[in-house]
Amino acid sequence: MMLKGLVVILALTLTTPALALEGAELLREVDRNLSPESYELYRKLINIEPDGRKKEFVLFTVKKGRDRIAGVFIAPASEKGRSTLRLGDNMWLYIPNVGKPIRITNLQSVVGGVFNNSDIMQLDYHVEYDVSHLEDQEKEHILHLKAKTKTVAYDRLKMWVDKEKVQPTKIECLTEAAMLIKTIYFKDIRDFGGGIVRPATVETDSPLYKGYKSVMLFANFKKRELADEVFTLTFMSNLESLR
Amino acid sequence: MKMTRTAVLLLAASILLPIPFSCAEEQYTFELDEIEKKPYHVGGYLELRPTLLGLDRDAAVYKLRFYDRDEGKTTEQITSILQLDGSLEKGIARLFARANFALDHTYLGWDSHESLFEGYLSLKPGRSWDLRFGKQTMKWGKGYAWNPVAFVDRLKNPDEPDLNLEGFFMASADFVRSFDGSLKTFSFTPVLLPAYGDMNDDFGEAEKCNVAAKLYFLFFDTDIDLMFLGRGSRSARYGFDFSKNLLTNFEIHGDFAWITDFTKTSVQETGRTLKTESDVAAFLIGMRYLSRQETTYILEYYHNGRGFTEKETEDFYSFIERGHDAYLSQRSDAILQRARTLSESGYGRADSMRNYLYLRISQKEPFDILYFTPAITWIFNADDRSFSVAPELVYTGITNLELRLKGVALAGETFTEYGEKQNDYRVELRARCHF
Repeated sequence: MMLKGLVVILALTLTTPALALEGAELLREVDRNLSPESYELYRKLINIEPDGRKKEFVLFTVKKGRDRIAGVFIAPASEKGRSTLRLGDNMWLYIPNVGKPIRITNLQSVVGGVFNNSDIMQLDYHVEYDVSHLEDQEKEHILHLKAKTKTVAYDRLKMWVDKEKVQPTKIECLTEAAMLIKTIYFKDIRDFGGGIVRPATVETDSPLYKGYKSVMLFANFKKRELADEVFTLTFMSNLESLR
Repeated sequence: MKMTRTAVLLLAASILLPIPFSCAEEQYTFELDEIEKKPYHVGGYLELRPTLLGLDRDAAVYKLRFYDRDEGKTTEQITSILQLDGSLEKGIARLFARANFALDHTYLGWDSHESLFEGYLSLKPGRSWDLRFGKQTMKWGKGYAWNPVAFVDRLKNPDEPDLNLEGFFMASADFVRSFDGSLKTFSFTPVLLPAYGDMNDDFGEAEKCNVAAKLYFLFFDTDIDLMFLGRGSRSARYGFDFSKNLLTNFEIHGDFAWITDFTKTSVQETGRTLKTESDVAAFLIGMRYLSRQETTYILEYYHNGRGFTEKETEDFYSFIERGHDAYLSQRSDAILQRARTLSESGYGRADSMRNYLYLRISQKEPFDILYFTPAITWIFNADDRSFSVAPELVYTGITNLELRLKGVALAGETFTEYGEKQNDYRVELRARCHF
């Protein structure tokens, strides 16, 4: 009996780190399949109200490496020129009328709707999350992710990953107590060229905002190498020059 | 016959009942012409702002402005503004201009004014460099309502801190470098601001070339700026500011300025003016907090070493009262005219005294009313305990249209800053349409 118990403990001790490593590698592969490490991208954000009314925003985004990402709104006219910058845990908003960047949090939303700044200025998942648990199902893996720090917007994620494409199909964003904050759906796989084949539509809904939905459409997704100086406060008013 | 009747009923139902017959998922589109970039851009906004002002006929500033007319208890004004932004890009060069055209109708009748707020040429020979020549704003400082370190900018109005300001003509450069350590970013911004003839004639003493500079560091996740303005049209001054998130939803910031040889002209009750020159400090410390319920709190304390003391302010208002009495008894407005000049040179500023508290509370979409943001702002004069309170309602549910209903009420004892302003209250509706 004791021997059996020892064998079980030994098996768990040897396989758990292996499973953790496999989960971490899978998460990195998911990140690389979703986007190259450095890119430029156009997105349309659509906030849909229960009565069907919509508000649309068009955003140009650039990313470099692990933790540098910047975006500038190009539509509608009221938002044009408004830009956001993320450097690691730091996030700023630049409003042309105000004329200088102010610090914001990833929990806010500069556009309203269900998406928040963290969703719009998303870093790679493996940068912000550790894999705590990996479930193997017939056609999908289910990754259970835990935030590495308290500064991350969602404490836990539950990610369904298609085995064949190694890309997420759905992510549930949860609190520490496993309460559902929002669900993100990945749809419409498209070839953007340059080896980027990924969902072109991301939808989200939330039990906290019943009847509301937000949709993100991707276009002109390209690898691009950028200077570090693009991701500085000084450059925030000039981001449109990168288009 | 039966089938015809059925067909008619179905047709009627499809018109009258709002039930879609199609169950297909909605298709969202993203057209390429939505992201096409042109080398030029023209945009801006058109604003209409009717305002009702409740006049305080016992206030010193009312007597200063209205001693020779009677406007009753209230006055109305309507302001319309067209702000135009334009830019043209070619290669490393970019031309930018922002012009402001205003048409007002007040108790004085119609008045129009136009200003070039900014107009400059920008050259970017590399990613680390940006050179600018022309009329521009620098916007130094991290404070929300006040910026004592804004050495080369015009004064902000703490009642409307987000408004565009008119710049000064200057040559400036931004040199930026990024790093991978605790110091993530460094930038150096030198500024040359000439004040000759008509150019920058309202910056200060004429026939001077002013030199200023700012260093910026992103160091241990803290924004830090060091700045200075050399002696020229204004006295030399030095400053620093900082901003840091202590928690993801809690930010602290501050501005500190040391102003050398600051000249202040104050007036005594008798009318005798007193000029003093000294080194003074002006500083601000503040915080911004976002709650789980998406309520934003901005709290700032501002010490203005250039400001007037309580006694100096009381003396000024007493001087106005003396002038008003002289006008009523002798029809002489000499004292009041002198008081007007003094008002324009310091006493009439939005932050004319020394110690202020600012608190702004705004709530995003309460009761799930989308695109609706109510807010309330207090500005409290800690020296004389007078204050203004301004509730507002903002709605942005219609694309490119912003509607704001704002009220401002002033309160204070006799001879206090807010107690002696010409208005007791103000109510305005602002409609701003962006294009």
